This record gives sequence, C-alpha cells and structure tokens, in this order.
Amino acid sequence: MKFATFNDSRIGIVIDSAIVDVTEANLGINAVTAQGLLNGIMENFDSLRTKLDEIALSGSRVPVSSVKLGPPVPRPGKIVAMAVNYMENGALKEKPPIHAFLKSRNAIIGPGDTIILPKSEAKVFHHEAELGVVIGKEGTNIAVESAFDHVFGYMNFIDVSARGLSGGNFFWNKSWDTFAPIGPYIVTKNEIADPQALPIKLTVNGVLRQELSTSDMAHNVAACIAWISSITTLDPGDIIATGTNHQGLGAIQDDDVIEMEISGLGSLKVNVRDDLKRQWPTEIDSTFADRMAGRA
Amino acid sequence: MKLAFYDDFRLGVVQGNKIVDVSEVVANKSSLKPNDLINHIIENFQLYEDPIKSSAANGDPISITQVKFQSPLPKPGKIVCMAINYLEGGPDSKMPPINGFLKSPNSVAGDDDTVNLPSAKASIFEHEAELGVVIGKTASNVGRSTAYEYVFGYLNVVDISARDLGNPPYDSYFPIKSWSNFAPMGPYLVTKDEISDPQNINVKLWVNNKLNQTFSTSSMAHKIPECIEWISSITTLDPGDVIATGTNHLDLGPLQDSDNVEMEVEGLGRIHFKVIDHLKREWPRETRADKAAREAAGS
Repeated sequence: MKFATFNDSRIGIVIDSAIVDVTEANLGINAVTAQGLLNGIMENFDSLRTKLDEIALSGSRVPVSSVKLGPPVPRPGKIVAMAVNYMENGALKEKPPIHAFLKSRNAIIGPGDTIILPKSEAKVFHHEAELGVVIGKEGTNIAVESAFDHVFGYMNFIDVSARGLSGGNFFWNKSWDTFAPIGPYIVTKNEIADPQALPIKLTVNGVLRQELSTSDMAHNVAACIAWISSITTLDPGDIIATGTNHQGLGAIQDDDVIEMEISGLGSLKVNVRDDLKRQWPTEIDSTFADRMAGRA
Repeated sequence: MKLAFYDDFRLGVVQGNKIVDVSEVVANKSSLKPNDLINHIIENFQLYEDPIKSSAANGDPISITQVKFQSPLPKPGKIVCMAINYLEGGPDSKMPPINGFLKSPNSVAGDDDTVNLPSAKASIFEHEAELGVVIGKTASNVGRSTAYEYVFGYLNVVDISARDLGNPPYDSYFPIKSWSNFAPMGPYLVTKDEISDPQNINVKLWVNNKLNQTFSTSSMAHKIPECIEWISSITTLDPGDVIATGTNHLDLGPLQDSDNVEMEVEGLGRIHFKVIDHLKREWPRETRADKAAREAAGS
C-alpha cells in the first residue's frame, strides 16, 4: 500500500496513477493534524489494514496528476541520518564505524517542491540519494531480529548537504530548510521484498549522477534500527535516512531539476533555486568520490 | 507565570512553594498528547493567559512537595544546543565561532527523574548546566533586533554528555548527546516577563550537595538574540522548540552511579535528578578546573 499526503493536509492511498482520500474515513483515530492521522494509521496498521484495503478498492479515485502531493511524512518526530554507511561500491576494506546525526524535521519538502540554497558560504551543495525508512512502532533497544516489526515502510529521501560549513558540523551543513526532499509516497514494507537489494538512481537535469544499490550499505537497515534505538527511542513517524554511496555526488545549482528513484518507491522530482546564481562544475565530484572511497 | 506538568501530566501553575491545578482550562483538549498540549498553549498563549490566571486564582494550591513534576516540554519539536558559547577565559577571551547541534527530542527528563548511564564506552559522562530558551512563535530568518518577540520563556536544561563516542573526525554529537534522559528540563517553564535580564542571571549546578558549576549568563559569547538569528537562518523554529544556550565548561564534572544532581538558573526553580550506572564506573570526583589545578601542581 502506498500512502501520500496531498492538497495541504489530506492523507490518501495511491493506486497506480490514482489516489483515494482516507482523511475522513472512520478509522477511530483522534488526530488534529495530517501527521497525527498518519501516525495513528501506522501505529494501528495491522488492525486497520482490511478496512484500508476496502476503502482503497471502493473509494472514489482521482488522478494523482490532479492533486498537489505533499511530503508523505510532513512532520516527522525526528530524522536520524546515517553517516558514511556505504562501502562505496566495495572500495572500502572495512565497514566504517556505525555513525549518524540528526537532521532538522523542518527541512522536509515534498515532490515538485524547491530546494532553496542558502546564501551561506558553503564550498558546494551536494545531493545524496538515500533509502528512507519510516518507523511505525515505538521502540527502545530494539533487537536486530525484531527491527522490521518497527518499520512501517520506505520512501525516497534526498539528504541535501552543504559542504565545508564549520568544518563539517552536521547541523550547519544538513539542517537547512528544504534540505530533506521525500516522497512521492511511503510504500508499506510488505511491498518491498528485500530492502537490501534496491537499485537507487539520481539524475540532475536528466543526466545520471548516482547509481547505487542498497546491497552496498555497510550497516543494514536492521543494524541501523538496533543501534539508533539503543541511544534514543524511535517513535511512529520518525525517519531514518540510511546513508548514501558518495560515488556520483555532484553540485546542485540554480534551475537544476533533480529526479531520484528507488526501485518500487516511485520517482521524486524536485527543483533547485539559488538567488545568488552561484556556479559549480556540472559533473560528478570525483575528488570527493575518491576521498570517500579512500583513493585519495 | 510558571507553567508545569505534574503527576499524570496535569497542567498546573506554580506559585511560590505551591502548585494549582488549572487543567480545567484545557479540558476540551484531552485528545492532545502532553507535548502537543503545551505547544498549543504556547502558540495560543494570548487566548490562554487570562483563563489560566483566573483558574489559578480560584484553585486550591497544594504544596509542590506533594506532586511529581513532569518535564513541561516532554518531547519538543526540536532541541537546538549551542556549542562552545561562553567566554571561558573572562571578558577578554576570543569570541568562539557560533556553532550548534541537535539533541534528540526523546532525550528529555523531568524533575526527580533518573538518568541511566548507557554501557557505551564513553571516556566520561559530564553535566552541562544551561539556560534553556523556549520559542513562542514560528521563527524563520529572524533578526536579532526582534528576536525576543519569538521567545516564550525559559527553563533549566542540563545537557548531559558522553565524551569521545562516535566516529571522529566526523561530527559526533548524536552518540555523545542524544541518549534517553540526557536532557533533564524543568521543573517548570517560566514565561519571559518574569525574567527581567536573561543575560545577567546565575547558573548553578551541584553534585551531591557540592557546588560544581557557577557562572553568569553575562559571559555567554553569542547572546540569545544572536543564537535565535543564527539558528532561524538555518532551520525554522516552532513554538515549543528549545534552544539550550551552552555552558561554561571550566567546572564540568563527572556523573556517576548514585549521584544526586541539582541545577538552578536564578528565577527558574531547581531541577533534581539521580544518576544510575549499572556498570558502577568511577571517575575522580573533581571538576575540570580541579583536575587542571591538580595536574599543574604536579600530582
């Protein structure tokens, strides 16, 4: 099942190219915001599933193209982003130590929205294509074996990154408003047979930049959930960005159109605006790629 | 006004050593979780201020010793902490560059709660006493001259830190700072009208009745309006978000099993918490300044 938000604060189920509004369905959830309703659906998904299936089949469908999709998780409790979590196409000899940072929840934008580059003097701004994991069930100290019990689903996540601010401080480089495009929808976990075998592609203005597979992840989804939840409780509506393979990163700049797609999770398209019209090379940043792969 | 949650997250107003139940004012909001409720009150305080005041005036005050305070902000939208934000060598010290990090909203603890030290191999666990600023309305790209318009109030924050975890040279704040209960906040939230000069108040922290930290917010490097200006230039601040304004590191000391910690910013009440370490690790009971003095004396 695919869940989206649309037309400001509606929640819908996406079926092929149509969407069924479930905002007013009698689901027994007491919520005042779209995120609250979504959290209620996620927490109670096992018991609501049959009902949601019925609504999806019988409810009135409108074309997705006729609505404005929003970010599928409009206001996550928190965003935990894994740092240095790919083997860089196998270039690394050893797994890097498991590591993460927090990204501001206010950075979220949705499909068709625009990343606004801040005037701050970053060396460059990069795209990082990542598998986003949406938590559906609260958990602390979750065991690797039961990690997927806490997963609701998956979505595309672009971890937009400024480079070089304050020597790599994550808050300053990662938490800018608009720096977390997600979507177009959440795909429930049952539709993804193996989250560790997903091809990910990201293009800028139609030109391929990143092409990676989640099979290259250093610490897999279950290991990430176990480790994060050993530090801080995960809540329904939290997002884990599982990291990127840095081979293929490049600059993003004014007027760019970025398109990202993980197999089975749809295509996420966003724009870039830079009022300063700064310019960087339009190819892959090979110096950065070499450094992250230990070749430099 | 001093707003509190107590017992089963009942809304109360603290007056001296008493607390008054004012939950009748929000009786129609029972579907909101405690943090959504306090954020709703903060965001709409113009509507709530008078009803809360009159409910408090008509209520039946009981002693605060009879209640269990919960944190007034049990799960904030975000906690932004300022890093290295005091002039630690006195007024002539070099201004540190402005910097910050995010702490997990799930790290909050309330008065009289217990902080369990994780088994992770930190080199030491330290207390950092800080003035917490609570945001009152949505703030994006706010200039320093109008910054106080976006402040709702203040509260005590202890930013507990597990040193040397993570993956240096990468920024490692997440595994150092975000453990459960590593952000005791409270005992209550004080509206800004009660604090005449937030840049000239004393911050104190005691471990087992020994005064470890004592400093004034007058030695803050980047003042509250600059912090709000800088943070809101990066990320939108929402009502109920917390800015922990940093600490003076000179007198940080270790936290270890069975410690009783108390912390007080002048005018904000006193928060207490207990430390449990199942591994019973031990560190010398000395502050950073004590340690430096001992080492300088060559022992």
